[in-house]
Amino acid sequence: MPAKILSVDDSRTIRLIVGRALRPYDCILCEAANGEEGLAAAAREKPDLILLDVTMPVMDGVTMLTKLKEDPALKAIPVIMLTAESGRDNVIHIARLGVRDYLVKPFKEEQLIEKISRNVTLQKKEAAPTMAAPTV
Amino acid sequence: MPDAANYQELSRRYGFAPKPESASRLTQLVSRQDSDLDEITKVIDKDPALRKRLLRVANPDAENEAEYAIETVEDALMRNGMGCVLVLAMGTPLAQALTKSFQTMLSLKLEDIDCNTADPLDGEHLLGTIGFSGKVVGRVYLRMNLVSAKAIAAGILGISPDELTDPNEIKDAAGELLNIMTGNFKSNLCDAGLDCRLQAPEVKLSSDFHTPSVPGGGLERLAFCAGKIQLFVDVTANPWSD
Repeated sequence: MPAKILSVDDSRTIRLIVGRALRPYDCILCEAANGEEGLAAAAREKPDLILLDVTMPVMDGVTMLTKLKEDPALKAIPVIMLTAESGRDNVIHIARLGVRDYLVKPFKEEQLIEKISRNVTLQKKEAAPTMAAPTV
Repeated sequence: MPDAANYQELSRRYGFAPKPESASRLTQLVSRQDSDLDEITKVIDKDPALRKRLLRVANPDAENEAEYAIETVEDALMRNGMGCVLVLAMGTPLAQALTKSFQTMLSLKLEDIDCNTADPLDGEHLLGTIGFSGKVVGRVYLRMNLVSAKAIAAGILGISPDELTDPNEIKDAAGELLNIMTGNFKSNLCDAGLDCRLQAPEVKLSSDFHTPSVPGGGLERLAFCAGKIQLFVDVTANPWSD
């Protein structure tokens, strides 16, 4: 069963970079553009891992993380923060909410894959003629 | 566990890169309302790059060092106040984040150049801005010509510039660069007790950009190049606005 990964980021550029990094692997990528969409996608898709930005319109990443951890059906999903903000108070607060890892932008695709691989099994595609489009 | 030790442990666990030391120290000194000018002078004097930037900020009309009317760190601080120290402290993590973005996302080496000798941006160009407010208030402006903007967006997305036909993708890539730059210096400010919030980035085409006026605050103008790509970054800041 391929791993299902949810990328929550208001930047289409970052979502495209995540998609490119995961292209060689047999996994399903879902996307959301803010925390509100992210919570809905998490409930609907039940991903194996969530990549979560902090600063987003409508609902930011910290609020989404708080709500996710309050939901018994979703709180066990591991979350990796993917953000440019690494200020002390923010990082401590987010760590206390319960994140599995934290990657500061800008990042190398290899760093992202390494952190994802610590949480879900990523298997290389044997022969990949086309990549499935992400579901939004 | 105290917050400082807790943060160090988390930084190790998450593999954070160390933050620029003199910029962090400078931000801490500026964050105190009773800032010690001697201590600030010592920090800047020990860092040749900071010293050079401070004198450039203090002599905005000079085209080269020979034209500097203000030649010492002490004079620059007396004449320009804490606003200019603050933009210096912010400029370091901002420039590092931009340089690292180019290395990691585009495999390009970005070099800082003198904004007085860089080719000026004539006509329509891409202008991205992001404001911040709280204990510091200000704005970051990122400008580049349309060819540079397209080359950057294409490089980040891993496609050729000819394949890039959607102007929104160009704007989104510039907006993300702005987010990364400002997110990094915001962390530095917040760590020094200068809490502030970032606004959403705005990216648009512009042909009439004017250097912002910052009464009582600081303005630093930076320029960078990587091959034919040129970027201009202007940072304004006023401390203790709350």
